[in-house]
Amino acid sequence: MLLEITAIIRRDKVAPTMRALEAIGLGSMTITTVSGRGLQGGNVMTDIDREVPAEYESVSKITRHLTPASFALVHSLTRPVFWIPKRMLQIVIPSAMKDEVIDLIMSTNRTGWMGDGKIFVSPLEESLRIRTGERGLASI
Amino acid sequence: MKMIRAIVRPEKENDVVLALEAKGFPAMTKTNVFGRGKQKGIKVGPIHYDELPKVMLMIVAKDDEVATIIDVIKNAAYVGYEGDGKVFVSPVSEVYTIRTGEKAE
Repeated sequence: MLLEITAIIRRDKVAPTMRALEAIGLGSMTITTVSGRGLQGGNVMTDIDREVPAEYESVSKITRHLTPASFALVHSLTRPVFWIPKRMLQIVIPSAMKDEVIDLIMSTNRTGWMGDGKIFVSPLEESLRIRTGERGLASI
Repeated sequence: MKMIRAIVRPEKENDVVLALEAKGFPAMTKTNVFGRGKQKGIKVGPIHYDELPKVMLMIVAKDDEVATIIDVIKNAAYVGYEGDGKVFVSPVSEVYTIRTGEKAE
């Protein structure tokens, strides 16, 4: 059984996380540069319970018909969308190691401030090493 | 929980994000990707483009919210021509918040 762990973490925590994972024998991972927003909507200064104005809906209705004019409209009418730079790590692990890996990622990445990130665990059907053709557990 | 991956036009990204935010789904992850679809890219005069820039939005949501989110994306990203994009839904068994250690299924 294989699991895929997708962890979205702070940029400066990539190296510590990699080192911690190497120590338990998981050297391989995929790192992607992503931008993210959490429940605060990318707003680093506000509270979670910030109210979301309802007028965005009508704005998106106006701009559904894309013309140069409406395109200009959207860029002046809507408020900018804030994104926070993040790194996404994708690790494929045998399901027996799940708790160990999650505890490790959480303890390495926890600062206690908003923006520490999320961990998603999803089932994976098949894994294949291209060079040798090994499948399943042998390939990771 | 389900992970929704929507591949949309880069110029429609803002619309999609604001529409989702208005419906109460502010949290998502964005990546710039390149891809092509069934039409094998586009041909403009003699030049064939098969790596078209797109934006991939990743949203993880509860099972009963998936239909709403897909509907919002479908309406906000719609132009009506080839290249509007795709929405993929895949299972996620567990979600952890690193700051609090909280777990959701």
